[in-house]
Formats: sequence, C-alpha cells, structure tokens
Amino acid sequence: MGLVAATLLIQLVRVQFGPYAPIFAARGNASVGRVEQVVPARGQIYDRDGQILATNANLYHIEIEIRQLTPRSQQDIAAVLSKLLVIPFENLHNQLTRDWASQGQFRIRLTRPDGQGGNLPITVDQSVADVLNGFLADPTAPDLSGLAMVSAPKRVYPAGSLAGHVLGFVNEEGKGFFGVEGYYDEWLAGKPITIEQPLIPPEARPEPNPPAGVNLVLTIDTEIQQMVEDALKESIKSSQAESGQIIVMDPHTGEILAMAASPELDPNNYQPWLKKDKQGKEPVITPGASAQYEPGSTFKILTMAAALDTGAVTPDTTFVDTGSIEVGGHEILNWDGRAWGPQTMTGCMQHSLNVCLAYVASDKLGAKDFYQYLANFGIGRLTGIDLAGEVAGQLRTPRHPLWTESDLGTNSFGQGVSVTPVQLLAAVSAVANGGVMVQPHLVREVVGPQGAYWPKTTVLGQPISKQTADTLSQMLSQSLSGETQYAHVNGYELAGKTGTAQVPTEYGYDPNLTIASFIGWGPLADPQFMVLVRLDKPKTSPWGSVVAAPVFQQVVQRLVVLMHIPPDSVRAQLSVGG
Amino acid sequence: MTVANRRRPQASRRTGWRLAVRSTSRAILLVIVLLCVGGMYLAVSAKVADAGRQVLTLESRKRDLLQANKELTAQLAALTAPERMMARALALGFRPAAPDEIQYLKVPGYEPPTPFVAPRPPASTEGSKTMLSPAYTETLGEWLTRVFGRTGAQP
Repeated sequence: MGLVAATLLIQLVRVQFGPYAPIFAARGNASVGRVEQVVPARGQIYDRDGQILATNANLYHIEIEIRQLTPRSQQDIAAVLSKLLVIPFENLHNQLTRDWASQGQFRIRLTRPDGQGGNLPITVDQSVADVLNGFLADPTAPDLSGLAMVSAPKRVYPAGSLAGHVLGFVNEEGKGFFGVEGYYDEWLAGKPITIEQPLIPPEARPEPNPPAGVNLVLTIDTEIQQMVEDALKESIKSSQAESGQIIVMDPHTGEILAMAASPELDPNNYQPWLKKDKQGKEPVITPGASAQYEPGSTFKILTMAAALDTGAVTPDTTFVDTGSIEVGGHEILNWDGRAWGPQTMTGCMQHSLNVCLAYVASDKLGAKDFYQYLANFGIGRLTGIDLAGEVAGQLRTPRHPLWTESDLGTNSFGQGVSVTPVQLLAAVSAVANGGVMVQPHLVREVVGPQGAYWPKTTVLGQPISKQTADTLSQMLSQSLSGETQYAHVNGYELAGKTGTAQVPTEYGYDPNLTIASFIGWGPLADPQFMVLVRLDKPKTSPWGSVVAAPVFQQVVQRLVVLMHIPPDSVRAQLSVGG
Repeated sequence: MTVANRRRPQASRRTGWRLAVRSTSRAILLVIVLLCVGGMYLAVSAKVADAGRQVLTLESRKRDLLQANKELTAQLAALTAPERMMARALALGFRPAAPDEIQYLKVPGYEPPTPFVAPRPPASTEGSKTMLSPAYTETLGEWLTRVFGRTGAQP
C-alpha cells in the first residue's frame, strides 16, 4: 500500500516538475481548449439616410476535426461534399485520409481546386450549411463525424451594383479594395483577436468581443444615386458611348451626393473586374477618381477664372477672333475652324473659342500666372478624396524639361492636360462657392464603439476672390443659354460649360473619337449642387453640347425635386416670408 | 497504596476500551468530514460544469442569433433597395414628380428631420475575459498563490 502511494507520489512529482513537464502541460492544455482567431464583424456602410449599402452575411468554411474521423466518415464526407459542391471525390478523400496528425495538425480546412493549379478554401452558403447540419443531426444520414462548419463573414451589397464604384469590394480574405472599402479598410475591418476556446464546460467563459470595425455613413443619397445611374445608362445607350460618369456634389461642403460610372460594377460579383480586357488593359474601378482625361473646353473655366482674378481681362474685354492664333510655333484653331470676329470674354466662353482662350493665357496672363493659378486650383495634385486609387492627373509646367510654349496655348482650352472628374469638380467648386475650393469627400459620419465622428468640410484653398467667382458664374450663366439650349431647366438659373476633348493616342489625337462632357451648377444665387457629366467616345455626336448637356438637364430636372429646391421665383418669395 | 494498586488494572482496562472507541469515532468523524468535503466538492463541481455548459449553450445560441440577424438585415436591405422600391412604386401607379408639379409651402416651426446616425458597433470586451467568479474556476494552487501572494504584498 505504502509502495503504491510512494510510486504515485513520485510519478506526480515527475509529471509536474520533471524534464517532460512541458510536454505533459502542452498535452493537458490541448485537451482543455483550442486557440481560435475571432474576427470582428466588418463595419456596415450606409447612405446618408440610413439605407444599408454594405453589410455582412455568413458563409461557412468546411473544417475537419482529424481525431473524430472514422474510416466510414472519411468516405461519407467525401461523397456528400463531392455531390453537393461538385468537387472530385478523390480530391476530397485524399485530404481526409492524409496523415495530418504526424504533422501536428488536428484540425484542417478542406480546399477545392481553383482551376489554375492551386487550391482555395471550400466555402458554402447558408442553404448548403442547412443541408449539412441536417445530416449531422440525423443518425440515419451519412456519417459526417469530424465535419464542422465554421462561420465566416461574407460581404454583401444589398443594392447590387448601385454605387458599386464608390463602394469598391471586399475579397474572400476580408480585405477591402478600391472605393470606400479600400480607403477605409483598416477602420472597417476592426482588429481580430486570438482566444483560447475552452472545450470542457468548467472552463467555459463568455466569448470576448474583439475591437469592432466602425460603421460608415456616406454622403451618397441612394435616391439621387439611382436617378443618376438611370440617367447615365440611358445616355450611354442613346449616345452609343463606350463609358461614362456622372457626379453630383454639394459645392459648399464637397459632399458627393452621387457618383455613377458605366460600365457598372457589382461588388457582389467583382471577379470579372480583376481580369484584363482584350487590349491587355486593367479595368478602371472608381473612374471618378482614377480615370484621368483631357477635359477640353470645361477647362476654360479655370483659364478665365485666372484671367479675371488677376485683372488681365473683364467680362467686357474684347478680342477679335481671326480663327487662328500661333502660340509657341503651334497654330491653334477654333472647334469649328471659323473666325468669330469681335467677341467679349463672355462671348468667348459662350462660343467656346479656343483661339480666344489661348490668347488670354499667352498674351494676357503669361505662363507664370497661368500655371500658378492651375496649381492653386489643385491641377496635377491629388484632391485627397476618400476613395482608394485616386490619381493626380498630369500637367506639364514650365519646370518640366519637355514643356514648350505651345503647351501654354493648348492647356488654356483643356488640351495636353489630364484631370480626373473629381479634380475638375474640386477646382470648379471654387467658382460655384464664392472662391473657396472644397475637398470632395464621401464619408459623412464615422461611428465606432466610443461614439460618432463627423468629418468637417476641408477647404483646399481660395484660388480666386469671391468677386471673381461671382462674375465668372454670371458669365457662365449667360453663356450657357447661348451655347446650348439643352442644359436649360425651367425656373432655375444655372451656370455651366460644355467640353469636347479629342482622345489622345500614341499617334496623336484621334480625329473621330471625343470625350463629351459638361460641368454645371445651380441655382446660381445659392448653388446647392454641381453636376459633372462625362461620356467617353459617343457615336451619335462628338459634341458635349449635344450629348452631355441634355444629360445635365435631365439630371437637374430630377435633382431639384429630390433635393427639395424650389424654383428661383418661389425661393425668392419664400425668403421674404410669402 | 493498596487501594491504588487495586484500581490500576481496572483503569487500564477502561482506558483501552475508551481508546478504541475514541479512535474509531475519530476515524468515523474523519470519514464523515471527508465525505462532506467530497460531497461539497462534487456539488460545486457539478454546479460549475452546469454553469459552464449553460455558458457554452448560450454562446452558441448567441452566435446563431447574430448570424440569423445578419442574414435578415441583408435581406431587408435588399428588399428596400431603391431600384426595387422604384419598381414597386411604378407598379402601384406612381411616377416621379416633375419640378412644376410641386408646390412649396413655408411651414412655421417646421424642423427638418435630424440626420441619420448609424448604430454603434459592439464595444470590445477583450479585457474582461473572466466573467465567472474566480471561486468557480481557480485551482487550489491558484487560490493559495492569490491569497498568500496578496497577503505577502501588503505592507
């Protein structure tokens, strides 16, 4: 009896303190629980009125607890999964019968061939999970002992492709790419934590909550977004354009109310956007911030703003248009090749005269002032919009070794310079907003566990005075009515400018292809919205005044209703208490 | 002396009997104490196991409910997506209003709705791992360390 007790005591001491104590301790711990990573739910994304744009649902990974497998269950699991998921039986059976224990692995995640020589983890949706759970609960069903389904979050975009380019997408590993998902990925994702999950009841503890990702409220209004997307779709169809964008922004705050792009991107099905097109080019996601283009005549707004602000010209300054001008040895012609004779500056904008604007830039402003103003307008620089993948555009200044004086002439009417749509909106917001340029942004509210945070409007600068901005707005309002009747909206005074830019190729400008655009804002007395329309390579007409201006008109007609903006006369009446 | 000598055998006989009773009763008492301690230990262990089982069950239920909630949220959002709502409105005979069909009125005292505030995500409870009292989970060694460690640390 004493001998047995002594032996037990020695063995206890050996297990507890002997050379193999760490091994015994590890074995003990392994049976107590398993180490798991708890991933917090990714933050949700809402529109400004609370409509959910991005949320989370479940998908399930198929995991196998090796120690619970039996020869029968190895067969049955492979057979059931092979049938349900259309995966070769042999592939699954090989994974189930491999000697994982000798590699120190007791729990594995099943994979499927990806068709390119690699393997991807098997994921199943709720319906398949329900079938498998039914088998697990039914003793007469195939033996699935050892099979476990581990839930994992799946990003879901309930509105489908609505605002898809704004949102970006989240891949299967839970990483956000492009758009808001890419820009705010770290904030949205939260911080996963590693916990020891107890397997025996006495050790059970409530599961800890890992630091959750923040919820985002966007500046996007889904009603306006839907309307704008419909308008873009229609215009692409009617003009037979290759692609296009429409952006609506509040010029006072820089809040983007809608940002539509075609071809549309459905973030639920983003895989086609990862492939290159037939020309070997990568598709452009979120083109509003990442697709640069030559803005053409819409850029004349900035040239005229600079000239007015320096006092080089006034709206009534006259210029005799002879139909051509030579700047730096390069002959510049008007869009129609005609000579328009004596014109005021308002007339120059109304008829969109390249010759006049090249004259203003080269003879009135000079390269130094012209490029200084462009720099102040943020041309060639990132706006800092909260979208992943923004590009800065291209502007060759006199410091550039390849710059020539002819660049000054062509840049004045938007040729030889590249901008992104949001960059142009930000620059022109100075004209619509009394000289103050605001940063375009998409997030209105960030809500974390500690509370909510409302990002404030960021002023990017004041490139022109309020007086210049007001004068130019009036000029553009007058010139708009003369330039195109298609942008007119009854009851509302609007300002804007058309643009028709040729498309540069490696052999020079394509004679047939254009980018037709329009940028406008209103109501003039107190601008509530700016709208930029861009149609790439329209076929029915190359001109911005013919294909882009009507889209602006169509959008504004609906916009004033959705934004509850009364006509000018009614607003004046209401403001005096009528 | 004589009396004392006469009494000694009787006393030793009585002492032997008493000792036997005493040792037996001590043994029984010890067994009873051990049984009580064992019983108490068993009862506490059973309670801990039961509480732990409930925790595991509730955690599992919580996980299921959260997942179901996520699914329902996504479904609800899909059902109220603008495109779907617009299609339903058109099917019911509505159409978008034109600007000249709208009448604007000034309503004294009207306050526009407050901006939408998104719900707060759950706070992290990473730091508070032990929701159960240590009395339910700690070992004797841990208890001794805690008690004597704390006592020793006091000035």
